Amino acid sequence: MTPDVLVEAHGLGKTYPLVFRSRDRARALWHLLSGRGHAQSTNVLRDVDLVVRRGESLGLIGENGAGKSTLLKLLTGVLTPSSGKVAVYGRVGALLELGAGFHPDYSGRDNIALSAALYGLAAHEISAKLPDIIAFADIGTYIDEPVKHYSSGMVVRLGFAIVAALRPDLLITDEVLAVGDESFQKKCVRWIEEYLRNGGTLILVSHSMYHVQKLCRHACWLRQGAIAASGDVFDVTQAYLAYQETKSVAAPPARGNIVAQGLEFHLLDLALNGDTQDVPLVLERGAGVRVRVRVYSRDGREPVITVGIVRADGTPVYGVSSEMDGVRARRESENVYAAEIEFPDLPLLPGSYSIRAHPLDPEGVRLFDTLERAVVVRGESREFGLIRLQHRWIEPATSPEPTRSMQA
Amino acid sequence: MPALQLALHFIRRDLRNRYLGSFSGGGWALLQPLVQLTVYGVVFVYVFKARVPGADAPGYVPFLALGLWPWVAFSEGLSRAATAIQDNAALIGKIALPREVLVFAAVAASFLIHGLGFCAIVVALRLFGVPVDLLLLPVALGGFVQLFVLALGIAFLLAAIQVFVRDLAPALPQLLMLWMFASPIFYAREQLPERYQGWLDLNPFTPYAELFRALLLHSGKVTIASQAASLLTAAVVFALGYAMFRRLAPHFEDFL
Repeated sequence: MTPDVLVEAHGLGKTYPLVFRSRDRARALWHLLSGRGHAQSTNVLRDVDLVVRRGESLGLIGENGAGKSTLLKLLTGVLTPSSGKVAVYGRVGALLELGAGFHPDYSGRDNIALSAALYGLAAHEISAKLPDIIAFADIGTYIDEPVKHYSSGMVVRLGFAIVAALRPDLLITDEVLAVGDESFQKKCVRWIEEYLRNGGTLILVSHSMYHVQKLCRHACWLRQGAIAASGDVFDVTQAYLAYQETKSVAAPPARGNIVAQGLEFHLLDLALNGDTQDVPLVLERGAGVRVRVRVYSRDGREPVITVGIVRADGTPVYGVSSEMDGVRARRESENVYAAEIEFPDLPLLPGSYSIRAHPLDPEGVRLFDTLERAVVVRGESREFGLIRLQHRWIEPATSPEPTRSMQA
Repeated sequence: MPALQLALHFIRRDLRNRYLGSFSGGGWALLQPLVQLTVYGVVFVYVFKARVPGADAPGYVPFLALGLWPWVAFSEGLSRAATAIQDNAALIGKIALPREVLVFAAVAASFLIHGLGFCAIVVALRLFGVPVDLLLLPVALGGFVQLFVLALGIAFLLAAIQVFVRDLAPALPQLLMLWMFASPIFYAREQLPERYQGWLDLNPFTPYAELFRALLLHSGKVTIASQAASLLTAAVVFALGYAMFRRLAPHFEDFL
C-alpha cells in the first residue's frame, strides 16, 4: 500500500443472487450460513482493475446497466464484492443519492447532525462545521423546517453542502450535477473544480461527456460489467461516443451481392490517402485527406461520382458530386472510371466519421452503390458539434472580467 | 468512537420517532405499560382472584409489575429490532454504515424507555406503601443490563434472518405471546404443578423475573447457580447472534 493511492481494486466482481420465490431466499440463507456461495446468480461486474491516486480525477462512463453504480457502491463499501479485492484509503464523500439519510420529519439542522455522523464525523466536528454547511446550502429559514417541506432542489443543496463540508479525500459522485437549478449546478461545478485544484480526488459518473471532459483527466468506460477502455479522458470518451453512434447504424449489405446483381454501376474500391484497406484511417486534427474512387460501368457509360463525410451515426457533414463541380471521371479502361478528390485541412472536430462514395448514373439521378471507410480524428477538444467554424469573440474596448457560460 | 456516536444518534431518532407529534411525548412510554398493568391487575385480581402464594407474599400488582416491565422491554426490543435492517433498507443501500448499529439502537431504545419506566414504577410502588427494597434497585438494574445483552443477541439473530425469510416478523408477535405465558410473569413458579416447575429453567427469561422479585420484593428465592447459568446463557446467545449477524451482514444488500 502506497500512501498516495486512494483506491485500489483488483479483479473486482459482483454477482447478485437470483431469487424469485421465498424458498430461494431460505436456501440462500442456508448456503451463506454453511459457507457456500450462491447457487444461482447473475454477474453484473467482472474483473475490474482500478487504481486511483491522490489528486487524480476519473470519469466513469457507460450505458445504463453497465455496472457503474454497482462499482461505486463497491467502492463506498455499501456492497460487498463477490470476487476480487477493493481497498479505499482516506475519507470518502459520496454524493450517490443526495439526502439519502434524511428523515422527512426532522428539521434540516437535525438531519445535518445525523448525516454527518453517518459519514463518521465526531460531535464537535459537526457543530464546528454547521455554520459552513448552512451557508453553503443557502436555503434560508427552511433549515429549521422539517425536510418534508423542502423542494427536491433544497434536499440536494443540503446534501451537497454536507459532503462539501466534509472535505473528503475522495469524492464520489453519481450524476449529481444533473439535479438542482442552474445556479446551484454552477456552484457545484465551481466547488468541484476548486476541490480538484486543491489536490482533491474525484470519481465522477456521468452521461454528460461535457462534464466528464471538463472535470476529469482520466476516464474508464464500462461495457456490460467489464472495462472496455480506460486512460486519457479524450481518447476514452471519443471511443465511447463512436461506439454509441455506430450502434444505431445498420450493417451495410455485403459487397458480393451488389456485384452479383449486375447493376449498371458499382464501386470497385475506395482509397483514402492511397490506401484501399478497410481499416479506420486515423487523422490528426486539421489534417487533409485524398479520396480516390473507382467505378465499374457495365455499359461503359461515364458515371457521376459522389463523395461525402458523415458522422459515425450517419449524420451528414458534407457531400459533393463530380457533376456539381463540373468535373468528369477519368476513364481508365473500357468499363472502369476513376475520380479523385482532396479535402485539405479538414475542420472536423475530434471523433469518429465515415467517408462515403456513391456512383450515380450520368444524369446524376439514380444512386447505385455505397462504399464507406471509417475515419478517426484524434485530438482534444471541448467544443461541440461536427466541425470547427471560423469565429472570433467580439469584446468591448474596456472588457471587465471575461465571463464564461456553462451548460450541460 | 464513531460507531457508538452513530448508535446514540439512532437511539435519539428512534425515541423521537415513537413520540413525534403525540401530545404527551415520552409520557406514553410510562402510560402504555401502566395501562397494561391496570388491565392485567383488574382481570387477575378481581376476576381470577389471583394471589401470590406464601405467608408473607407481596400483593399481586407489585408482583406482576416487576415481571411485566422487564418483559415489555425485552419483547418490544426484539420485535422492533427484528425489522431494523429491513426498515432501513434505503439507508443501507446508500451509505456504508456498520449495520449492527441499527439493531443495537432498536433494542437500546426499548430498554432505555422501559428501564426508566421500571425505576419509576418501583419508586411509585414504594410511595403507595409497598415495601420495595429501594437499596437493591441498582443491583436490579445490573440484571436489566444483563437482560439487554441477552435481548441483543436474539435481536441480531432475528434481524439477520428477517432479511432472508420475511415470515419471521409476522410470526413474531404470536411467538412472543407464547413466550410471555411460558414465563413466570403472571404466576409464580410455585403455582405450577410440581412436575412442570423444572421446565421453567429452560426459559431464559425466567431467572430475570425471579431475580427482580427476589431483590426488590424479597419474594421467592434465586440461587447463585441459576443466576450464573443465566449470565452464561446471555453471553453465549449474544456471541452466537453477533457472529451470525456478522456473517450474513455483507449479503444484506443483495436481498433487501
